[in-house]
Amino acid sequence: MDLPVIELAHPMPGFPDDARFALVRLDDDGVLHGFRSLDSQDLQFVVVPPAPFYPDYALDLDDETATELGIDESSADEVLVLLVVRAGATLADTTVNLRAPLVVNPVTRRASQVILDDADLPLAAPLVA
Amino acid sequence: MLVLSRRIGESVVIGGGSPEAVTITVLEVRGDVVRIGIDAPRSVAVHRAELLAELADANADAASPPDTAVASLSEALRSRP
Repeated sequence: MDLPVIELAHPMPGFPDDARFALVRLDDDGVLHGFRSLDSQDLQFVVVPPAPFYPDYALDLDDETATELGIDESSADEVLVLLVVRAGATLADTTVNLRAPLVVNPVTRRASQVILDDADLPLAAPLVA
Repeated sequence: MLVLSRRIGESVVIGGGSPEAVTITVLEVRGDVVRIGIDAPRSVAVHRAELLAELADANADAASPPDTAVASLSEALRSRP
């Protein structure tokens, strides 16, 4: 999926000045996506859907985040969860952040990097085991 | 920085008077560990400072990988069994 303009409800920690991003496909399989800042040149995060890598990954979205992103019954099924990838030198060195996924509502085009309460979720888990 | 001394059971209120006020209460002091209770409206996110710092570091590590790294990641995923 490509989305031209996504607005963050809160900046991503470490990047306080970047509020608007675009989601662009980076591969033919539709797995790798770029989450590209529209406010800074050259700032991009590589993101992936959890399903191909962590099929059991699920999150409970708190009400406040749902409200901020305008998630309601009609848009709940369309909400995208994306994991931020840290590309390593090899696939084995490549990690994903399971603790703080990006949650995107494609209907309202609003998104947030949600910090999950579960302290067992690592900030850097192997992308592939 | 405002520095206050509080006893167990005493609180400070931040943003007092507004419905968005945050109340922080000292619950227990044991050695060098202080347990605090935070009563905040849902719109105020409360996080341990070190977690936010770790997340900022993790985001910085992940930010803007070189095109070659993205290309080789894409290739590696495609050739995965």
